[in-house]
Amino acid sequence: MQTFAVHPFEAPENAQSIRSDLRAFLAQHQPDKDPVLRANCWTEFDPAFSQALGAAGYLGMLWPSQYGGHERLPLERYIVLEELLAAGAPVGAHWIADRQTGPLLLRYGTEEQREKYLPGFAAGTMYACIGLSEPGSGSDLASVRSSARKTDAGWVLSGQKVWTTGAHISHAMLALMRSEESSERQSGLSQFLIDLDLPGITIRPIIDMFGTHHFNEVFFDDVLVPHGALVGKEGEGWKQATAELALERSGPERYLSSHALLAAVIDSLGPDASAEVTATIGRLVSEMWTLRQMSMSVAAKLASGVDPVVEASIVKDLGNTFEQEMPLAIQAVLDADLADGSDLSRLLATLLQVSPSFSLRGGTREILRGIIARGLGLR
Amino acid sequence: MSENREQLAEMADGLFAGLRGGEFDTFQTQIGEAGFGLLLVPESSEGFGGDWGDLATVMRLAGKHALAWPLGEHILAARLLHDAGRHADALTLLAGESSIPWGREAGDVLVERDGQILLVSGEVSAGESPAGEPRDMVAYDWDRAVPLGIEADLFGLIAFLRVCQTAGALDAALELAIEHTGQREQFGRPLSKFQSVQQSIALLAVEAAAANCAAQGAAAALDRFGHGGDARFEIGAAKLRSNIAIKVGAALAHQVHGAIGFTQDYPLHELTRRMMGWRSEGGNDAYWSARLGAQTLEWGGQGLWDQITRRTDPG
Repeated sequence: MQTFAVHPFEAPENAQSIRSDLRAFLAQHQPDKDPVLRANCWTEFDPAFSQALGAAGYLGMLWPSQYGGHERLPLERYIVLEELLAAGAPVGAHWIADRQTGPLLLRYGTEEQREKYLPGFAAGTMYACIGLSEPGSGSDLASVRSSARKTDAGWVLSGQKVWTTGAHISHAMLALMRSEESSERQSGLSQFLIDLDLPGITIRPIIDMFGTHHFNEVFFDDVLVPHGALVGKEGEGWKQATAELALERSGPERYLSSHALLAAVIDSLGPDASAEVTATIGRLVSEMWTLRQMSMSVAAKLASGVDPVVEASIVKDLGNTFEQEMPLAIQAVLDADLADGSDLSRLLATLLQVSPSFSLRGGTREILRGIIARGLGLR
Repeated sequence: MSENREQLAEMADGLFAGLRGGEFDTFQTQIGEAGFGLLLVPESSEGFGGDWGDLATVMRLAGKHALAWPLGEHILAARLLHDAGRHADALTLLAGESSIPWGREAGDVLVERDGQILLVSGEVSAGESPAGEPRDMVAYDWDRAVPLGIEADLFGLIAFLRVCQTAGALDAALELAIEHTGQREQFGRPLSKFQSVQQSIALLAVEAAAANCAAQGAAAALDRFGHGGDARFEIGAAKLRSNIAIKVGAALAHQVHGAIGFTQDYPLHELTRRMMGWRSEGGNDAYWSARLGAQTLEWGGQGLWDQITRRTDPG
């Protein structure tokens, strides 16, 4: 038995030129902002950056050109993601549209939906958010109470979504709603792509514990959406949404989103660092290197058309753990005063505060390990 | 996996499973007959013509079946002797550090001294690994040492073998854990139905996966850079990571087995005792973390990423 059948990552021949082109792009477009923003970078919204990235052809890379895509290879896109994350680029605005919503529309969407949204997603000018969580649902995503009622004029939506990252900058939400009255759990759910400027939608910020605004509550008060807002098949929403979640498990964002801290610490130290600090850097690098092997292996498997559910969950669990431990491990050995105002101290302090959330976002640790256990035949 | 490698894996899996609990001499005959010693010797010299990924596959299976024979040391010695234009008659072994598994059975030994790879023999004094296997010291007779005039990183190669064996041993421990908890009932249902047990086994699977990926990554680096020492970064990273995997994974495997896993009647100890010894061999955590850390600090923050990516990009 081998739980993680390693798939060789055959990097495209042009890998180095992709990297150097992108590094040149980043040198021009890395906004001259606080380096602290490079920590946890795929939650940083910067629409101007996303537009520039889209204009340069780095969004919708795999999509057909008729929808504004670039028909590149999956592993070329993987290299681009690696480079963006390692550089700490603020990719948060377009992240969901490029990673999840776009691919989902290509798989399940109607022609009309593809034409309406994909070109904007690929241009980096339209953004999407995900409406799964509801008040009280926690990790139990099947406990959806928000409802969609079919009428002649369209679907009437009511209810509330919560923890919706980026709803306040997004143009559309892909929401899971209960479309069959009094259905239970996973059945009777459907996905809708909802334009967020429709009447009856209210978006309220949820300010996180260190004062930033990523999350929102979104209220639907008898919102009328056209019939064409239904994505895929009525009643198949659960299956579609879980397939969508699988798209977010194993990418390089699972171990590189806080790479800026590791790079900054290394740069601040130099060869005379203490033995203890040096050893910690060595250990972190060995974990990062291993995670890259794992993430690349899953990417290669995905590119060959296989859906490695267990492997992807393993990468996400281990990557979350690594990113959560990294700031603490650095804090434990670095002689840093967190109040000294230096970039490094602020970067460290930021990640120390955010990192407890890393084992929650996109599926809690317990949920992921449950998926792994199921894959091992234990459930 | 290439077709060749698949066949190789099947052959190794069957052979090593059959050797469990047997005698050293029988192993020698059977492994010799199967031609495993010549795994890394080119086909033009009547070897198997395998690459480092093939070696990783075979050593993973040796680890999985707790093979009690210095297979990796022998395969590497045969390859290096071939590089030097020689071939081994007796059981030649490669030694990356002071003690050698089954040193008492060895004919000659390949060691590194003052930057040279030497073929040498000597007086053996018996020792034992934590797994209860022979691990002997050899007082080399340097006067009769033969310089081979080749480049190789013996210590790193030993580390690579242990990483691959660890990957197999952890997968085997995982398999035992799944089997045991599926059969054993407690509180009226199989242990595997308890969520806390499932979470522990999932975490064991995560560690086994990390060790397997680390082994493959190191093998890819050896295929790319050769065995002269340029793959030291990847080998070191893999060894350090697999040492963590042993620390976390072995504890979890025993945890879900309860006291049963702690007996001689149950096969888990064959894996645990070996893995605990391997953590010291080919460099412990302190050794590799210092080396890797120093290398990284030399490269710098952006340099680290440049290096990591450049070392896997084509060209």
